[in-house]
Amino acid sequence: MESAPASEPLLLLRGVTKIYEPDGQEVVGLEGVDLDIRSGDFLAVMGPSGSGKSTLMNILGCLDIPTSGSYKIKGMPVARLSPEELARLRNREIGFVFQVFHLLPRYTALRNVELPLLYAGVGREERTERAGEALRAVGILDRRNHLSNQLSGGQKQKVAIARALVNRPSLLLADEPTGNLDTKSGDELMEILVRLNREGTTIVLVTHDQTIARRARNVVYIIDGRLVAKEDFRELRG
Amino acid sequence: MNFLEYARVALEALRANRLRSALTMLGVIIGVAAVILLVSLGEGTKTYVENQFAGLGSNILIVTPGKIETKGGPPIIGAAKHKLTLSDSRILEKRGYLFHGVAPVVFGTAEVRSGSRSRNVPVLGVTPSFSAVRNLHVEIGTFVTGSDVEAKRRVCVLGRTVKRELFGNANALGRIVKVSGSRFRVVGIMQNKGVSLGIDLDDIVFVPVRTAQDIFDTDALLEILLSVRNKNDIESGKELAKSLLFKNHNRHEDFTITNQAAMLSSLYTILDTLTYVLGGIATISLLVGGIGIMNIMLVTVKERTNEIGIRKAVGARERDILVQFLLESTALSSSGGIGGMFFGVAGAWGIRLLFPKIPVVVPTWAIVLAFTFSVFVGIFFGVYPARKAASLNPIEALRYE
Repeated sequence: MESAPASEPLLLLRGVTKIYEPDGQEVVGLEGVDLDIRSGDFLAVMGPSGSGKSTLMNILGCLDIPTSGSYKIKGMPVARLSPEELARLRNREIGFVFQVFHLLPRYTALRNVELPLLYAGVGREERTERAGEALRAVGILDRRNHLSNQLSGGQKQKVAIARALVNRPSLLLADEPTGNLDTKSGDELMEILVRLNREGTTIVLVTHDQTIARRARNVVYIIDGRLVAKEDFRELRG
Repeated sequence: MNFLEYARVALEALRANRLRSALTMLGVIIGVAAVILLVSLGEGTKTYVENQFAGLGSNILIVTPGKIETKGGPPIIGAAKHKLTLSDSRILEKRGYLFHGVAPVVFGTAEVRSGSRSRNVPVLGVTPSFSAVRNLHVEIGTFVTGSDVEAKRRVCVLGRTVKRELFGNANALGRIVKVSGSRFRVVGIMQNKGVSLGIDLDDIVFVPVRTAQDIFDTDALLEILLSVRNKNDIESGKELAKSLLFKNHNRHEDFTITNQAAMLSSLYTILDTLTYVLGGIATISLLVGGIGIMNIMLVTVKERTNEIGIRKAVGARERDILVQFLLESTALSSSGGIGGMFFGVAGAWGIRLLFPKIPVVVPTWAIVLAFTFSVFVGIFFGVYPARKAASLNPIEALRYE
């Protein structure tokens, strides 16, 4: 409503298919996924476990490359990028928030948040300053010198969000971010995400929880690697 | 990501596993210390031998009785003279135009007594030229003279040790000592020379050669020393001596002429080889230390798979991960190298303190080489684990618990 649709979507997926061959046997992870995500969107991807949600996340996050189909970020075809350029994309354009937090346990909150800046080649002083800002934005600046394994789950996830946002990416990818949190921390976290989106951050959220998905602006449903209509999803889930 | 940051991360990782890092370093420490110690021992031995021979000129030929190389059949009985005698040395003196000095030597041991003090020492029967040829000189008095030899005078020159043992600080010149029961007058005291090839040059008594033959009741010589006028004539001098003695021995080659310099140079070659072999053996332990590093780095990469996944997810390139782990292995090996340098040099120093007779010389090149090699070992054995870390699939790495 408030942001006019851009001429080119931020993320553009056409016929994206991912096939795994773990033991020579083909397993379809995604099949023919078409998806447009525009700047400022807050999209929830819903689906049961094993439906292909994580595969979609990995592809959106440039951790994995589709077997076929095309995926463009800001018009750049990802399939043609070198590992080096993919690392750069992950560093500059994408922020990850994981269900199990994935913070470095022996590092303080501040150093965890500094990590993407380190790989972006940002100098020491600016790193500390920007990481501090990011921690303030999620409301745990006071915990900056705590080791990450001394933090509670909710605090860890806030640090993870700060880390995801510190390099001002185009896209925040959250994979079941409330999955390991109690209800109260989960609600608090969703409020942060909603606020961030209102402030302009594009968010893609993967969840199997209807109440979480409802907080997003749009929801897509995925089953057996295919995007399906909401009605079909209800039907299939019984 | 700048280099200092990599170094910081590497050091933090090493500090997080102190005992493990220390044990891994120990492998390199032992390797580097072993290289330095063993090479030092080898070099020390060489220096020791060089010092022992330092007094001997490179222009000396030594004639000894008997043939070392056996050619043809057995000698005809009675035909061969197996002794060197003064007639041989006279011929060499008269006809050996290439020789600067000819020094026949008679050798025996005898009891030397002065008053109530006595001592069993080597007694050398010599001519005046011995002093110049062997570079051994009197400090007080005179050496054996030509007329002493001709007249078979009962005079003797004492080495420093003999003088001290028999006379203490008192004057010995002109005093009478008994050598094998006969009265000898002391005419000279030798300069301090120290030990050479295990022989204490100060613990010898010199007497005129013919007098010595009388005491020991022999006409045989231990050896004849020849000094060649010109170093370049050493080979032709050898040929000349050979032909003169050949004639004097009824055309029998029953003597051996040794070229001191040639002997020494082959000895030095052997000692150099010894040093390299010792260093080589020690290098093997350094390689074993390197394998230890590789082993521990593989464990580290496995343990930190999740960390690698996180770093990759937030934008670390393969190169970033590679350098981080390479720096970690190199930090292990080079700090081990520094420790090894310390222990190697300290060990060499300790050996010198505890066992002053064992020669230890620490060559700078060995220290530099051992340290450089240890750094190289860290890089070499770190490459495989670091590449393994760098090439991890980020999705699988993140999933790894």
